[in-house]
Amino acid sequence: MAIIAPAWWPVVCRILAAIVGGYAFTYACTAALARVLPLPAADAVWVASLPAFALYTLAMLWAFAARSLWRAWWGVALALPLGLLGFWPLLMERLA
Amino acid sequence: MKQTLTQSMAWLHTWGGLVFGWLLFAIFLTGTLAVFDKELDLWMRPEVPAQKVEQSQALQRALEYLQAKHPQAERWNISLPSERSPTLGVSAGNQRRGGGELLNPQTGEPLAVRETAGGGFFFRFHFTLNMPRTLGIWLVGLAAMAMLVALVSGIVIHKKIFKEFFTFRPGKGQRSWLDGHNASAVLLLPFHLMITYTGLVIFLLIYMPAAVDALYGDREAFGRALRGAPVEQQAGRGGEQGARHERAERPRAAPAPLAALGPLLAEAEQQMGPLAGLSIDHPGRSDARIEVRPILGNRIELTKGRSMLFDGVNGAVLRAPAESRPSQLTQRVMAGLHFAQFGGYPMRWLYFLCGLVSSAMIASGLVLFCVKRRRKYASEAPAARRVSHLIEALNLAAVAGLSLACIGLLWANRLLPVELAQRAAWEVNAFFAVWLLSLLHALWRPTLRGWGEQLGLSALLCMALPLLSLLTLPEPWAQPLHQALELTSLALGMALAGLAWRVYRRQEAAPPLPRRGAVMQEAL
Repeated sequence: MAIIAPAWWPVVCRILAAIVGGYAFTYACTAALARVLPLPAADAVWVASLPAFALYTLAMLWAFAARSLWRAWWGVALALPLGLLGFWPLLMERLA
Repeated sequence: MKQTLTQSMAWLHTWGGLVFGWLLFAIFLTGTLAVFDKELDLWMRPEVPAQKVEQSQALQRALEYLQAKHPQAERWNISLPSERSPTLGVSAGNQRRGGGELLNPQTGEPLAVRETAGGGFFFRFHFTLNMPRTLGIWLVGLAAMAMLVALVSGIVIHKKIFKEFFTFRPGKGQRSWLDGHNASAVLLLPFHLMITYTGLVIFLLIYMPAAVDALYGDREAFGRALRGAPVEQQAGRGGEQGARHERAERPRAAPAPLAALGPLLAEAEQQMGPLAGLSIDHPGRSDARIEVRPILGNRIELTKGRSMLFDGVNGAVLRAPAESRPSQLTQRVMAGLHFAQFGGYPMRWLYFLCGLVSSAMIASGLVLFCVKRRRKYASEAPAARRVSHLIEALNLAAVAGLSLACIGLLWANRLLPVELAQRAAWEVNAFFAVWLLSLLHALWRPTLRGWGEQLGLSALLCMALPLLSLLTLPEPWAQPLHQALELTSLALGMALAGLAWRVYRRQEAAPPLPRRGAVMQEAL
């Protein structure tokens, strides 16, 4: 019966973790990758972006496979440092 | 949700597959049809004569026409007849496509061609769902991600992947549906993965602008950096704004005859392969520019926007066709693998058949969901039964109903009066009306009966397509392309008829599904 009538809250939570959280993680990860790749910027954009959908797929699967609801949101937690890594020069510019 | 990995993946595959399966079937089926978009287009414009005309001759007709009708235009656009589309299109002004006129490439006379949604409808629906472009692109992108998730979770739950590769147990109800779903999924797994991933890659930087945001700040800065923006390029194809700006400041250039186009086209063809068309900026003036475009599909790489620029007076090459840097080439080759413009007709047929299998795989998954649930009908509460019924109806409308709507569009093309105003829009209305009717029908009829009827009607419409041409055209079956399309429709119709027949037999053989009253009694 678990398949037919899931309790709604955890399911909604995981769907959000998968779609929104997964996207945030993928976005940050792609930005960080583009920043650290030792390539000219015009190449780094493509090389970092092309695997994004594979990454997003894995992030979505993780949100549903994770044992607890908290773990489902790990991707979002990772997004913050990765995003900082990707965007720090822009951030410094803004702050300066 | 304390479950094993397999259980959680099975849940995800089942429900994610159901919710996005309806959308995905529509995307895959219209995408499959869009493989032959130009061919459908020609079928939907039966007034276009099928004739092989040399491009140089057609070009001459186009130039004469434009010279007579639009001598003062800032820009002439000409699309030349090529292997897949024997039409000659001309327009004046800034729009490259649409708003122009079709000419008879032999005589240069304007063709009176019916207004139609054309094969382009399937193409646009495939990636925008006929919604506002941005919204549609994002929805289709989300569905494509769901497809990837469903494929990978499907692999995880499918433990005996290699053994079942060779397993098919027909005529055994749920077991057969599962086998069919598995076989079509596993057999073409590389195609499913490739077509979904490359589809996403087409709009890579729209869906995932992270790298551009991080390194360049915005897409325009990235675009400028990619082009490298040499001066001549800006003047030639650069935004209309630049050109307009220039025009406002500088006086109109002195008149000058146009360079001979023959040698120019020959050189462009030698460098880029067969040509699709050209545009001429400032024709008849000393600052004329000629931009020549190749057809897509001269190479695997998707070459949209690739062109050569010539001086319009002395014919000198101002800009050779750009070559992509390897990183961008990777993206463009992936996009090209999705567009399937390379490899000619054998490749198109391969993509068409693979697309049909993909669509069938999605449809069988949707059916499997319901077949599995049907056995539990009797034990379900009334509310859950209503949900089941709704899911059954949506399945039917999404699969059989869409097929009906697609063939319905072709019928509408032949049946609507030729002089009808807004005719193209009415064709699209007919498409959606048929789809809506199929949903109402699905909600009204018992499930199996509904399937039998909608599949049967689709089969009938597909098989009768040659007959329809016979009744509505002055010269039916005259063009080989029309014959090929109608024969294909006939074959697809026969396959659908086979399916409808099987559904009908099952309905006769199987004990009737429990009706609402019966369930009520049991519940009491």
